[in-house]
Amino acid sequence: MRTYIMKRLLLIIPTLLGAATLVFLIMRVIPGDVALLILGGDQGQIDQKQLDAMRRQLGLDQPLWMQFVTWLWGVVRFDFGKSLWTGQPVVEELLIRLPLSLELALLATMVSVIISIPLGMLAATRQDTWVDYAIRVVSIGGLAIPGFWVGILCILFLVIFFGWGPPLEFTPPWINPWLNFQMMVWPVVTVGYRYAAVTTRMTRSTMLEVLREDYIRTAWAKGLHERAVVIRHALKNSMLPVVTLIGTEFAFLIGGLVVTETVFTLNGVGRFVVDAVAHRDYPVVQALIFLTAFSFVMVNLLVDLTYAWFDPRIRYR
Amino acid sequence: MAIDMRPCRTLRSFVALTILVVSVVVLIPDPAATQTPRRGGVLLSAIGADAPSLDPHQEQTFATLQPVAPLYSTLLQIDPYSYPNVIGDLATEWNISPDGLTYTFKLRQGVRFHDGSPLTSADVKANYEKILWPPQGVRSIRAPHYAAVASIEAPNPDTVVFKLKYPSASLLTNFASPWNVIFPKKHLDKDPNYFKNNAIGSGPFKFKAFTRGSTFEGERNPDYFIKDRPYLDGYKFFISTETSVRAAAIRSGRAHAEFRHLPDTEVESIKKQLGDKVVVQHTPFVINFGIFPNQTVKPFNDIRVRKALTLGIDRYTGGRVLFSLTGLKEVGGLTRPGTEWAMSPAELEKFPGFWRDPERSRAEAKKLLAEAGYPNGFKVVLKNRNVKVPYQDLAVYVIQEWRKIGIEAEHRPLETATWYADGRDKPNFELMVYPYGHFVDDPDALLDPFITGGSRNWGRFSDPRIDDLYQRQARTLDPTERKKLVIEVQKIVLDNAYHLPGLWWTRNMVHLAKVKNYVAPPSHFTNQKLQDVWLSED
Repeated sequence: MRTYIMKRLLLIIPTLLGAATLVFLIMRVIPGDVALLILGGDQGQIDQKQLDAMRRQLGLDQPLWMQFVTWLWGVVRFDFGKSLWTGQPVVEELLIRLPLSLELALLATMVSVIISIPLGMLAATRQDTWVDYAIRVVSIGGLAIPGFWVGILCILFLVIFFGWGPPLEFTPPWINPWLNFQMMVWPVVTVGYRYAAVTTRMTRSTMLEVLREDYIRTAWAKGLHERAVVIRHALKNSMLPVVTLIGTEFAFLIGGLVVTETVFTLNGVGRFVVDAVAHRDYPVVQALIFLTAFSFVMVNLLVDLTYAWFDPRIRYR
Repeated sequence: MAIDMRPCRTLRSFVALTILVVSVVVLIPDPAATQTPRRGGVLLSAIGADAPSLDPHQEQTFATLQPVAPLYSTLLQIDPYSYPNVIGDLATEWNISPDGLTYTFKLRQGVRFHDGSPLTSADVKANYEKILWPPQGVRSIRAPHYAAVASIEAPNPDTVVFKLKYPSASLLTNFASPWNVIFPKKHLDKDPNYFKNNAIGSGPFKFKAFTRGSTFEGERNPDYFIKDRPYLDGYKFFISTETSVRAAAIRSGRAHAEFRHLPDTEVESIKKQLGDKVVVQHTPFVINFGIFPNQTVKPFNDIRVRKALTLGIDRYTGGRVLFSLTGLKEVGGLTRPGTEWAMSPAELEKFPGFWRDPERSRAEAKKLLAEAGYPNGFKVVLKNRNVKVPYQDLAVYVIQEWRKIGIEAEHRPLETATWYADGRDKPNFELMVYPYGHFVDDPDALLDPFITGGSRNWGRFSDPRIDDLYQRQARTLDPTERKKLVIEVQKIVLDNAYHLPGLWWTRNMVHLAKVKNYVAPPSHFTNQKLQDVWLSED
């Protein structure tokens, strides 16, 4: 097991390097130039000398490979450089947004798990009854209705019927838990509902598959109580794909909630990525993609390790 | 005799009525003006974008100017209560020499920056030198508006003198630019880009905090040079790019004001819910949204095709259709309709694209297309910025209009960087949605997209007649004579369809009724110092 973990940890290095190289090249191939953007503007006179000076100042006059090596050396020292747009260290900019995105991802995943696993289980055990139909309608709704629309509806509902809207500024939970709750509850519910829908359907279908297995029939024949059959035997064995899905969702939620962040005025990592791409802010985009790739790799590793707990037959070497 | 008298009587009646109305308006007390201003409170505002940097000299977006304007002073300013009159801010008096070549400003004495250092003429000189002749690695968006200035002198701590190469009709107005804030010289000397990320001014408020993508805050400056101002303890901008979220913030009272614009559809809902607790100041806007044809490529170098394109847009219906969605409303030429620089509607209606009968325009457009070798129209790509209000809404309208004359336009919204790269930096487009505007109705700024080689001339056309007229109007100090030249430029542009004007924007400035003493001008760049604004208890 230890060897396996070591191997997986070592594999992270080429994976991250690949992701970093890819994003480095893509950012430089797409049209737009940060030096032009900083100097330009639709009323601006752009002087070639100024443009060259700005490129020099930003280090963009160096050969591509040198820019890449400089950046990589910084990453090794956990120094992602400075934002070309704001001049602030990327790590500082990231630390403003990361707590919010992590809180949102964690809470939304928790809400999703709390809702989806019992519902998926219930739908599977009550297949083709009204309970199953109701759960399927709710989960299909979650998949079909765009998250931003649910978000805007939430806000409008509160504003129109109660004259109340969520706060416009993020307050960390350790400073004011009540304000934090008022702000986070709506995006968490919105995002959690969407992902609960996906996970409910996955739980239901894997449970249905497992419930038809011979060993489940044997458990019933032995006269075991329903709770023991469903939870101890069926649920645990149907969890492998569900856990994979939850893990992937969590990693995605950290940087992928651009629209939700926009609707709820959350200053999170998702919006930061989009703004950085629009500004051709190479160090920021590279750092964020690197971070996202790192999250995916780590979450996948954790998911793989939990497989062994769910299915003792799995042994890693 | 009676026939002769009637117009005279009508005129007398009109004058009498006007005097009566004006007297009534003057005598009726403005409730806000008669109430005693209340001190305290923090003004909360929702804003639609994040400031790219905090240095107004180097930026051109309201997202920078609105949050930082209360922190700074300018040499002159546009009168907050009487647009577009110019009044002093740091300057208490100014003098223009009879030949129009020397501008002398006397500065207030005893003004201090927020760090306690005195503000003198050396600071003003350093700032204007940075704006006019930016050092390497520093941009200056509006430097061309001060091209007439030859040198700046600071003979003593409270006098600044600008020497000109030639008289400039717009210069005094441009000294009132809200963008030309005065930074402390000592920081500029060390790093001319210092104020991209820092803010030290001498305005009514001091910088408190800025969290990118989230909030910008200022707090009361107790040492402000105008006694007893500001009334507010501070102000805070909440950044949200989503229009419905900003509207909901007003409805729920989380924000007191939205200083730029909310579309009519949102405004109606807000008014319905809040009734007299909300105030909507509807004003014109010095911004035109139109389309530039790239005149370096076929078929847009053919005047017949350009004329067909402009004839194919029914602007009058467009103003009615687009208004509630976007605020785009007024049909006008290259300067804002109704202003001293605008053509009269009757004059405008003589030009292609402004005829009152859309069917006649379409028939003429089809005829011109056939003459140009496109009897069945053609396919074209209309590039645009991927901003919905009002860019994309305008494009959608125009495309369906062109379809009626056989032109199939594919709408291609681009993210902002690519939009600039394809339009401004190189002519990588066929047709491009293009807005232009200024903080005030100034011909120098509003006509510079049409001069040869100008960075705002995205259509890349050149007409020596326009260049000559532009230079002459910029130096003509007599307003009547200048207007003739300004109108002449517009006639040439419209007659040749070098640019296809769309519609002039209008502004819904929305605030809660508890926000007192704010008058919205026709620009969201001016009157943003907030020094006279106060909050009532309701």
